[in-house]
Amino acid sequence: MDNLGWGLQMTVLGMGIVFGLLALLWGLLTIVLRLDQSPQAPEPADAAADDIPALAPAADAAGDTKAWAMPKVQGMDADLVAAILVAVLTHEGVRRHEAAPAMRSYWPGSLLYASRWVATGRSRQTRVWQRRSK
Amino acid sequence: MTEKTVGGHLAVLRGMREQALLGGGAKRIEQQHARGKLTARERLSLLLDAGSFQEFGALATHNVSEFGLEKQRFLGDGIVAGFGKINGRRVAVFAQDFTVLGGSFSEVQSNKICRIQDLALEAGIPCIGLNDSGGARIQEGVRSLAAYGEVFVRNVMASGVIPQISVILGPCAGGAVYSPALTDFVIMCRGSSMFLTGPDVIKAVTGEDVTAQTLGGPEVHTHRSGVAHLAVDGEGPALDMVKRLMGYLPQNNNEDPPQVTPYDPTDRADEALNTLIPEDENQPYDMRDAITRIFDRDSFLEIHPDFAPNAVVGFVRLDGYSVGIVGNQPAYMSGALNIDASDKISRFIRICDTYNVPVVTFVDCPGFLPGTDQEYGGVIRHGAKIIYAYCEATVPKISIVTRKAMGGAYVAMSSKQMRTDLAFAWPTAQIAVMGAEAAAKVLYREEVKNAADPGVKERELISHYREKFFNPYRAADVGQIDEVIEPRETRPRLVRALEVLRTKVQQNPAKKHGLVPT
Repeated sequence: MDNLGWGLQMTVLGMGIVFGLLALLWGLLTIVLRLDQSPQAPEPADAAADDIPALAPAADAAGDTKAWAMPKVQGMDADLVAAILVAVLTHEGVRRHEAAPAMRSYWPGSLLYASRWVATGRSRQTRVWQRRSK
Repeated sequence: MTEKTVGGHLAVLRGMREQALLGGGAKRIEQQHARGKLTARERLSLLLDAGSFQEFGALATHNVSEFGLEKQRFLGDGIVAGFGKINGRRVAVFAQDFTVLGGSFSEVQSNKICRIQDLALEAGIPCIGLNDSGGARIQEGVRSLAAYGEVFVRNVMASGVIPQISVILGPCAGGAVYSPALTDFVIMCRGSSMFLTGPDVIKAVTGEDVTAQTLGGPEVHTHRSGVAHLAVDGEGPALDMVKRLMGYLPQNNNEDPPQVTPYDPTDRADEALNTLIPEDENQPYDMRDAITRIFDRDSFLEIHPDFAPNAVVGFVRLDGYSVGIVGNQPAYMSGALNIDASDKISRFIRICDTYNVPVVTFVDCPGFLPGTDQEYGGVIRHGAKIIYAYCEATVPKISIVTRKAMGGAYVAMSSKQMRTDLAFAWPTAQIAVMGAEAAAKVLYREEVKNAADPGVKERELISHYREKFFNPYRAADVGQIDEVIEPRETRPRLVRALEVLRTKVQQNPAKKHGLVPT
């Protein structure tokens, strides 16, 4: 019976330590997550749309720069987001013009169609002479 | 002791390499920068993918000891040559270094260029040359002339096998001009120049006062002579243009150009095309509008945009595939063909045929430009080049008659009989032997002469002729046109047609080479 009591004590102690550590870890992760989150809660899409008419009076008051606040997109100025978007699209356009690797369907240097018909045909086209058959 | 010796050898090599990187020296590099120009190595670093360049012949120097040249030995001898990658594609490159003896063309330069050309041809990869040289190194005498010949023969051997692109970033004078002229594309940077005989020689021989720019600047060669295909502001944009051009070309004549992942719907039907052709048949419109609306958006790269503007040629993409465009330009000279337009079109067709790029032709041509200037200038043999190029080409060929297709010009501009695979026409097409007025005069001469009021009768007969023959249906009736389509259907029809023709194989008779009318 003594052994049984001792065994139970050890089980409770062991499980207590494990669950205690798990609870501590959970608490730590919750704190880190909260710290990592933006202080402002994300705005619902509908609410963001509701803000659009509000920009009109802001534009009217454009003379008074203090009265107008730059709309934010995920914490960044809308102008900055627009500039990033233009830069990304421009870069994409340049890469597409150059058929850069990220824009290519086929690696140059391969026959696009992997066609034996085309390969042998081109070989015949570029042959400069043909042996006369007997 | 051994370690020291090896370390010493390495130190010597590293020292020489550092010296080679400096070209003509820090002072000359500063002078080059002061002129607003980059050095050869800076240009290559802009052109090639980062870290992809591997140089050959960096330690070569000349062995001339006359005219004080023995004191002017620079590692590399005024040229940087090697292999690199552009957007992951292997290329051979050489760049003349103006900081070394003005980039003058020497025997060593030739040896290095020839080595690169030989390896490029064997590897089947494009060869790109960045030219910036004052001309032949006179101190080397005939050796520098022989050196030109070595390069020219390799230019010709590589022609039609691997793409060759020349970028003129400074002076390019004398015999040196022939190497770029033998390549597929010449891109000139503003401020550069190309001429056989310089302003001083011209002044001495003919007494004519002329500057380097008015003699052989980019304006001259892209507008008047047609020697250069594109003029670009600045060295960076010129090198970017090489990259863009490469995007439409394969590595060699056995392979295909890269396909860009399709980004424009294949079934896009642009309604504006249905109203593009003006109601008044004599009113001009811009053929570029049709091209940009039909093909993948923002994919049009016009070649020779300023030379012979009565014709339009260039590369586009259709469903991501590279396609060559040839068209008349009704907005200039009503799209009539002349000597320059014939040269421009025929050369472009041959380039497309060489590099397996299908050709789509847009026809709105009232005929060849009449006049003694044209006839004396040989418009017959120049026009014949177009016919030759279309007939010889084995790539997929599709034509679309948008409006006028008259007489010989109709035949020349990718008519069905000249091995064109598919001939489309818009309902506004007018396919006829000649204009209605001229035709009526010939056909109804007696009828008009005998009429009570010849003027009224003539107008009536012209109207009758126009109604009867100025449409695409007669041609469609006899099979000269495969299908009359709505303009807005053009894109989907072309996509489907080229999909079928993608594996087209056609062979010309075995011959040493044809005799292109020149």
